[in-house]
Amino acid sequence: MSSSRYAFILAGGVGSRLCLLSERRAKPAVPFAGKYRIIDFTLSNCVNSGIYDVGVLTQYRPTSLNRHIATGRPWDLDRTHGGVQILQPSLGAIDSDWYQGTADAIYRNLAHLRRRRVEHVLVLSGDHIYTMDYNELYGFHEANRAAVTVAVTEVPEDQTNQFGILETDEAGRIVGFEEKPKHARSRLASMGVYLFNRDALIQWLVEDAARPGSRHDFGKDLLPQLVQRGEPVFAHRFRHYWQDVGTLDSYYQTSLELLSERPPIDLGNPEWVIHTQSADRPPVRFEHGCRVERSLVANGCRIAGEVTGSVLFPGVIVPKGAVIRDSIVMHDSVLGRSAIIDRAIIDKEVEIGEGARVGFGDDQTPNRGCPEHLSSGLCVVGKGAHLPDNITIGRNARVGAHVTRAFFTADVPAGGVVDGPESMH
Amino acid sequence: MTDAMALVLSGGAGERLGVLSAERAVSAVPFGGKYRIVDFVLSNCCHSGIEQVGLVTQHVPTSLHDHVGAGRLWDLDRRAGGILILQPYQTRSQSGWYRGTADALAQNWDAIEERRPERVLILSGDHVYRMNYRALLQTHRDRRAVLTLAVARVPAAESHRFGMVTLDRDGRLLTLVEKPEHATTPYASMGIYVFEYEVLGELLRPRPVDLVHDVLRPLLQSGERVYAHEFSGYWEDVGAVGSYYHANLELLAPEPRLVLHDARWPILTRDEERPPVRVFEDATIEDSLVANGCRVHGTVRHSVLFPGVTVEPGAVITDSVVMADVTIGRDARIDRAILDKCARIGDHARIGVGTAPTDPAHAWLEGLTLVGKDAHIPAGAQVGRASVIGIGAHPEDFASSTLAPGTRTPNRPWFQERS
Repeated sequence: MSSSRYAFILAGGVGSRLCLLSERRAKPAVPFAGKYRIIDFTLSNCVNSGIYDVGVLTQYRPTSLNRHIATGRPWDLDRTHGGVQILQPSLGAIDSDWYQGTADAIYRNLAHLRRRRVEHVLVLSGDHIYTMDYNELYGFHEANRAAVTVAVTEVPEDQTNQFGILETDEAGRIVGFEEKPKHARSRLASMGVYLFNRDALIQWLVEDAARPGSRHDFGKDLLPQLVQRGEPVFAHRFRHYWQDVGTLDSYYQTSLELLSERPPIDLGNPEWVIHTQSADRPPVRFEHGCRVERSLVANGCRIAGEVTGSVLFPGVIVPKGAVIRDSIVMHDSVLGRSAIIDRAIIDKEVEIGEGARVGFGDDQTPNRGCPEHLSSGLCVVGKGAHLPDNITIGRNARVGAHVTRAFFTADVPAGGVVDGPESMH
Repeated sequence: MTDAMALVLSGGAGERLGVLSAERAVSAVPFGGKYRIVDFVLSNCCHSGIEQVGLVTQHVPTSLHDHVGAGRLWDLDRRAGGILILQPYQTRSQSGWYRGTADALAQNWDAIEERRPERVLILSGDHVYRMNYRALLQTHRDRRAVLTLAVARVPAAESHRFGMVTLDRDGRLLTLVEKPEHATTPYASMGIYVFEYEVLGELLRPRPVDLVHDVLRPLLQSGERVYAHEFSGYWEDVGAVGSYYHANLELLAPEPRLVLHDARWPILTRDEERPPVRVFEDATIEDSLVANGCRVHGTVRHSVLFPGVTVEPGAVITDSVVMADVTIGRDARIDRAILDKCARIGDHARIGVGTAPTDPAHAWLEGLTLVGKDAHIPAGAQVGRASVIGIGAHPEDFASSTLAPGTRTPNRPWFQERS
């Protein structure tokens, strides 16, 4: 069983549009939905589809991801044969270097296919929220005698410029492929899920590696090339929920959708469990006088204040008088008495002083440092930041990781930036 | 790493937990919103550096085995040492049901001998507490004792529940009286013993039955060095419905005596792989512990909810313990009840109605209503206080929709035909 299928998961991207959330961790390691990491969805899809041999390609800030995956135990990927292996960039081989693009990352790891007796190679992205049975993809691929099958989903018209958009003929064969087009000819977007015939993949990657001017990327170079050459490249239409939580706004929206009456993903489906590292925390403590509504609250939280429309990760403490509204608060962040958080994303281990207000006022001035990522009214507070008592932080503000109380000289206006000891900006 | 091997006694029949332990060992009864009782002792072992643990089982051990598995959760899945299940077994000459605690140890002495520990730490699998056994073992070594008992101070009114011990100024044990009505000492034996390995081996040779009567007492009388180690933390024997219920609800106090969220001493248990608690628009939750996987619409007050409990709109749960995957129907009322796993409470049903009977036969329930695992309470049914609904009960067990206080319905095997 374990040796018949193999998947590469690309988990090395920078994820810069997620701003502070992926400043110090790879995007697949960003916490999501109150207890998971983004990559849990892809890893769980693999094992729930019967794929127990997985290589995870890392490059950008991998520590948090490596610690999370560890030996692969929650996914039953700690195995004698197969299991999960971290594939880091390395020195020492003839072609050794950093991964240049998605195709290059696989090319540099072709050695892992050498002794694996698989007919196909599944290439996945560790960045997406979806539950998919890859067996359907394998079935489609074989029925169509495809050389490569690309899983596709329909995206809204105003988002086509963020994805690889493709056109198909009536049989589902791809006839056009454009990466992030200005004027799209269809709404079918590549999900970054590719199933290749093994031998063809090897041949194509070797060709691509030698091609001058190639950026060595599946979406930008390899797939458009194959389509142009008339290779049997097929699109498999995926009709369920799929979300690229690539921006702060989409991360926030996707999280809050889980609170709706009919959430797009059933996290409690016993037939498709999303596996993750266990946190060894006691049940949630709802204390006397607390008010909690329309929220997801994970084990280890202690709540005496008010929580509405929010997602709380393990160990968040909300004392009497404190309020969390329409926000996402990650592991072990602690609010002071009467602190109010409104429309904010608070990373792990943040301390919010008594009477502090995060996300305050009607001023919607976009963020001074990254207006392109932070203009919809959200505030972001980086991991381990300490906010002083009674401080007011306006909308679209950004407070860097590990900022201490001494960094604040006055209230932070809308669009303001308080950078930490070390920052990517 | 210590040189002691722990033996956890988990074989008792646990009649005082009624329907909760009819089909599982007391140690495997769920506790505290996500744990099993045995998690406390095994976590104590793990955090005290004890790497060899024998688990003595006899009474319906399946769910205990399921839970403990290879002991990985407590880092007891080891190449050498680790966890060892000590079950009753047959030999050519005899069938070896355990006649008592000492007999259980004697029958397994050959297995213990193979591990060659210097000391044997005997624990009960029915207690909830957080204790560093290193301190106990240190007292034992310092006193050069052959036997050291852990003791706790208990209120005079409760001495009838315990073996009470008197000590001299050095902590040496003078007398032991079982369950006295009036005690002259505040010290209760916790049922936690450290024996010198060689000494215990000798004492078990004549095949004694009960550890206290046939081993401990003669040892004390022979004048050997028997000492006490005082433990001042929270400790509770939860092997009876009343103490089980109160220990659960005590976790809801503003400052509970049993701390569950100490990151340096986590209570380790099997991960349920459930999503975070989902609290809906129409929910009210107060003074409660609610575990991952619960979905709450209605009202939950002063209660403990285990993973995967669904509370439908309008339902009200008060002062109750609700185990994993129970569903509470619309507008149902649950008051002072313990609902076992996977029970289904129909819409508008009421559990815990009226006044509990005062006769001695129902005293052990302390007015609580028990609903067995997989029981299905039909919509609109009224279940009187101090009733015990059997495991797997189904609507046909309800001749009328009202059960008087103190009613019992039979347990039904899961494979029994349902028409």
